Amino acid sequence: MNKQSSGKKALNFLGANSVPIMFIVIIAVCIPIVGFSPTFLLNEIVTRLSRNAFLILSLLIPIMAGMGLNFGMTLGAMAAEIALIFTSDWQIWGIPGIVLAMIISIPISAVLGLLCGKILNAAKGREMITSYIISFFMNGVYQLVVLYMMGSVIPILHNNIKLPRGYGVRSSVDLTRIRKSLDNLLAINIGGVRIPMATILIIVLMCLVIVWFRRTKLGQDMRAVGQDMEVARAAGIDVERTRLISIVISTVLAGLGMVIYLQNMGDMATYSSHSQIGMFCIAALLVGGASVDKASIGNVFLGVILFHTMFILAPAAGAKITGNEVIGEYFRVFVSYGVITVALIMYETKKRREKAGIGQQLAAAQREGGVTRA
Amino acid sequence: MRNKILFRAGAILILLIIAGVMMIVGRGHTIYFDNKTLEYNGESYSTIRRINVLVNGEQVAKLSKKERGMATCMGQSFSFDLEVIREKDAEPEPYHFDLSLPYGMDGIIVNLPGIMAGVPQEAWMSEFIPAPPTETEEDELPTDEFDMGGEV
Repeated sequence: MNKQSSGKKALNFLGANSVPIMFIVIIAVCIPIVGFSPTFLLNEIVTRLSRNAFLILSLLIPIMAGMGLNFGMTLGAMAAEIALIFTSDWQIWGIPGIVLAMIISIPISAVLGLLCGKILNAAKGREMITSYIISFFMNGVYQLVVLYMMGSVIPILHNNIKLPRGYGVRSSVDLTRIRKSLDNLLAINIGGVRIPMATILIIVLMCLVIVWFRRTKLGQDMRAVGQDMEVARAAGIDVERTRLISIVISTVLAGLGMVIYLQNMGDMATYSSHSQIGMFCIAALLVGGASVDKASIGNVFLGVILFHTMFILAPAAGAKITGNEVIGEYFRVFVSYGVITVALIMYETKKRREKAGIGQQLAAAQREGGVTRA
Repeated sequence: MRNKILFRAGAILILLIIAGVMMIVGRGHTIYFDNKTLEYNGESYSTIRRINVLVNGEQVAKLSKKERGMATCMGQSFSFDLEVIREKDAEPEPYHFDLSLPYGMDGIIVNLPGIMAGVPQEAWMSEFIPAPPTETEEDELPTDEFDMGGEV
């Protein structure tokens, strides 16, 4: 009996953590093939962890509020990019440039988050696909602003930012003057591994804020809304407002995270950085064992480590195994999309099973009631 | 309700003040040091055999006659030291200068013979205006693809 239950437990554990386990296996196979030194691998992982963790943390709050994976985080990323275009043009360098970009991104992100939240409230139950399409729509608006209005309506002074035609922003904006300013602040070296302490402290602080936020009245309301909207409404919670706030917070955090991300990169792909980042963050969170309706800070860190370790290893492993690095690139792209698809299928299957279970219970109760009446 | 509004207004004000401070302390400038002859009010201030430019004790340029060096700085003030060697095998003469930089100038040219001669600032300080870009090629146009490739 005990044996059977422990076997069942193990199976349940494997089922619940199939994605992280799969990634651990892939990484365990790839590491000896690739032959990277532990110092190199650790350096890369720490760099990517500090670069991406804040962005992925921004996804936790909408999940808490039952709104699923916020594909609308790209709106925050766009706000950050607009802010960075301005700070680059105004020649604000170093840490002040990063702080200023964060401050400028906040109102833009908040307005975009408000718009996104309002739309998502009108599309309850279809938040993910709606936020995904909103990000496409806003990408068009972003292109209109950046490609046609900047330099013509919105003043842009420097020719190295403007397109040669005199308006619009170049496809790549040089962020050398703020590059790694935050990462180099208080950075320490342990056994050849460079640890960007300031960035990590900000990420830790963000984690503590999330833990604290969960215990606040608003955090409790979000959890209640996430569990059951109707019950939460009956308990006197303003469901729409709570959901709206969760999206605004997520979008603003995504904006701040994007500034941290781009300061590390030192270069901004004006028209594609934001669209890539949403997918990568969501894939990393899912790889960490999160689902559409449940995610934790642990999932964020496990996800970044596993997803990005695979990113580091895949091209080199592809080159070693097949002689072609591109195969590794294809593999990582395929896995990234694949993991999102699997997570969405698993979520839908779980929801249907739950519904079917409730239906069966209802039918059984009705039968029992019928028998009693007879 | 009133407290809420006051709190929000206060938060916005603090953010605006921080943004203002960041705009001043983070304003980047490129300083170009010219060891070139300066003509001012009919006087000529000629080039010097060798000038070493030091910023924060670190040598940033070693200028012979008619040469230009550069350094970058953040903020609205800039200090630098010069080691001036007028003759071969002569002892270097030390100079120290503190400049107040104009906010609107990205690149600032400082004429070293002029500043050492003590002529007015408008004579030895001028704006560096980069040559207009000559390239005609358009950047790659954006797409609406949510691409999963690229660096993360």
